[in-house]
Amino acid sequence: MGRSVTEQAPAAGAISIGSGARRRNPIVRFLVADRTARWSSRILLVVVWQLAGALSPRFPTPVETFSFIVDEFNRPFGDGAWSVWNNELVRNLFISIQRAVSAFCIVVMIGVPIGYAMGRWWRIQAYFTDIVMVGIALPAYIWALLGVMWFGFGFRAPVFCAVVSATPGLIVQVLQGSLAIPRELRDMSGAYGVPFRWQVRHLILPSMAGALIAGFRLAINAAWGCVVLVEWFGNNEGAGFRARYWYDVNNYNGLMGWGVIVLCVVITVDRGVVERIDHAVHRWRGRITSFGGTRTSVG
Amino acid sequence: MASETGTQERDASSRGTMAVDVARRTTSTRRKAAVYSLLGAVTVLVVWQLVSGFQRTAFDLLPGPAQVADRMWGFIVGDPSRGVASGTVFINFWETLRKTLIGFAAAVVFGVPIGILMGRYRYAKNFFFDLVYLAANVPLIVYAILGLLLFGLGDAGPAFVVALLVLPVISLNVAAGVEGVDRNLLTMSRAYGRPSRAALRDIVAPSFSPFLFAAARASFAASWKLAALAETFGGTTGIGVQIRKAFQGFSVADMMAWMMFFVIFVVLIERVALMRLERWVFRYRLKRGEDVLRY
Repeated sequence: MGRSVTEQAPAAGAISIGSGARRRNPIVRFLVADRTARWSSRILLVVVWQLAGALSPRFPTPVETFSFIVDEFNRPFGDGAWSVWNNELVRNLFISIQRAVSAFCIVVMIGVPIGYAMGRWWRIQAYFTDIVMVGIALPAYIWALLGVMWFGFGFRAPVFCAVVSATPGLIVQVLQGSLAIPRELRDMSGAYGVPFRWQVRHLILPSMAGALIAGFRLAINAAWGCVVLVEWFGNNEGAGFRARYWYDVNNYNGLMGWGVIVLCVVITVDRGVVERIDHAVHRWRGRITSFGGTRTSVG
Repeated sequence: MASETGTQERDASSRGTMAVDVARRTTSTRRKAAVYSLLGAVTVLVVWQLVSGFQRTAFDLLPGPAQVADRMWGFIVGDPSRGVASGTVFINFWETLRKTLIGFAAAVVFGVPIGILMGRYRYAKNFFFDLVYLAANVPLIVYAILGLLLFGLGDAGPAFVVALLVLPVISLNVAAGVEGVDRNLLTMSRAYGRPSRAALRDIVAPSFSPFLFAAARASFAASWKLAALAETFGGTTGIGVQIRKAFQGFSVADMMAWMMFFVIFVVLIERVALMRLERWVFRYRLKRGEDVLRY
């Protein structure tokens, strides 16, 4: 659409200072470069963390946290011998991820059909409106506590809680995507007898893709958080259990370490998997920033 | 589109019932939708009643709706036999709400300027992007742990983590709003020598305030949940503490009573208070027949 022209010509007054500085001397150019901005914020974060660790009696510093994670990796799991797979870090993480993945599969199998049907037929939408609204309002951690009381240790409590707390959010996203399907095209493809498989391929998936991915992202985060939460409140293995274990013996490095590990999993999945899928799906849109708007403004 | 109000029933019914503008829907369709909605609620209650009757399964410990309603009533008017003072609900909800609101206010105070900067300057966008991204993806339990570690027991932890949770949502939404500002208007206001404060108030603020409301509505439920969770971990007052007590006493009925209160409260605040406020702030847009409210 010829927008790249506007990006190279920052004369229009209201454009950012970053582009205006490109003509200045190399030091200024370095200071306002995108990469400098990103790295300065990252370094600032570590510095603040270090300061918080130095000032607070409980809060661990980055070095302590990292060395704890290394220690955890060097501890054999249970009574077995140490190996790359059989240590406290990898095994507990693997158990939690396994639970979260199974929960996520169930969430998708329930959430996507209901969300689509709600957008398609108004009766179904009216039927589920209140149920979904209540489901969204329910906090995951009450489900977690109830799940622990009902199912006890093991596999069922985390999966159950993750399913009940992640599904409503996915349903709402899918519903919004489903409402975005152009009615005229859908009616027309119905009138001309287009097979449902083709409709899915050429009409439904393209118009729902954005909402679906947003919903999956929400569901993954919710399922993972919920699994860890349940493990914290009552389980005998998994990432949440491990964090609780260290908390109970007053080892705050361990608590922070597992917090960081849990966070790393979320970010790795989000950046490494979901975002890649998102980019692949939306290739055709061209230059789009992470904010969901085109980078260049209409100048 | 808006001028056809109430004439085309089919159109009204097929457009999203919750994507809203209720006025557009005819009364009969609204009534029909309400019937279906009621049917859904009744189904849930019936299933609940049935499941709570199952013996020797995991749901042996599931109390029926009647018992939970009884406990809820006890928390409202007091239940001397179990040592519950009257008005327990209101006291505890107010405690939690207070912390949530403090956190929310802090998030708005810091989040709006950050959002404006992010929408306006490329440097700020790059600088804050990772921080905001990180804060937006932290699981609630990690926040709760963080609050516990930094502040120990007390009120400060929940309020602080609520602020951390809400801030990225607000900044990202405000940034999106600012990016959508009509640049021509800004250029014009500069050309006519208007001070930049006026431009901020009259051009930038109206374009991001709908986004701000969307952010507030989207994050209210989550922030409320986080406040309660943080209280469960390290609080001294509030519903989180009540829920912890119920868990430690292994009282499923009490916990489900609190759970129901939770829902009622969130729905009340979201549907009644925030929606009213939003309609009031955007009344000029409602007059033009635009949809303001989202699900």
